[in-house]
Amino acid sequence: MTGPDVFDAIASPVRRALLDVLAGGARSVHDLAAPFDMSRPAVSQHLRVLLEAGLVAEERVGRERHYRLDARPLRAVADWAGHYEQFWQHHARLLRDLLEEDG
Amino acid sequence: MTSIEVDQFLAQPPGQVWTALTDPALLAHWLMPNDFKPVPGHVFTFRTEPVPQHGFDGIVHCQVLDLEPPRLIRFSWRGGGLDTVVSWSLVPEGTGTRLLITHDGFDDTDPAQRMVMGILSGGWRGHLIRRLGTLLGGEEPDA
Repeated sequence: MTGPDVFDAIASPVRRALLDVLAGGARSVHDLAAPFDMSRPAVSQHLRVLLEAGLVAEERVGRERHYRLDARPLRAVADWAGHYEQFWQHHARLLRDLLEEDG
Repeated sequence: MTSIEVDQFLAQPPGQVWTALTDPALLAHWLMPNDFKPVPGHVFTFRTEPVPQHGFDGIVHCQVLDLEPPRLIRFSWRGGGLDTVVSWSLVPEGTGTRLLITHDGFDDTDPAQRMVMGILSGGWRGHLIRRLGTLLGGEEPDA
């Protein structure tokens, strides 16, 4: 797996806040950007990470894209033992990347 | 008691992996800032973001329990109500290394330990976790 995982996705306070808003229902990028004092491109970039981690799904509504929460990947995070498993998997990958850089 | 096992293949030989596991600067790079020393009995900490709502001050208290270069490091891992032991074991595999990470001693019955699930995610919000039950409602966990 090369894309961001759930752990990467929730490491950012902005993305956690976005998930929090999406927990209340699907939103457009415009609606998501409004409460955060962020540009739409900045929000889109965070949404891309959430999409790649499978935490958010995208759907077209007329001319707009709407985003909705898919909480299923969070199951492992919500489970405390699973959380540590993810923690170590994540950091083992960081170790692999570090060793490859040095090599 | 529950234990977690994670394994990761690394292309480098055990000697090189050992350095990445025991050099404090390298360790900080892939894990967390620390004052680790590869000395049996050495008391050290890992430092991360505090999670006050889980009673975690951001400090993981550790002590080196076993050190067998270049094949085993075992250390205690305490913080936020957690009292556990982590082992890193290096097994040569071809020209590389299989790193086996074991995290032992989770007490399934201790609610305080269940509270620390957000401990290392960098401040993951407890209230969203609590809402997950509803968000995931009706679905059976994967077998």
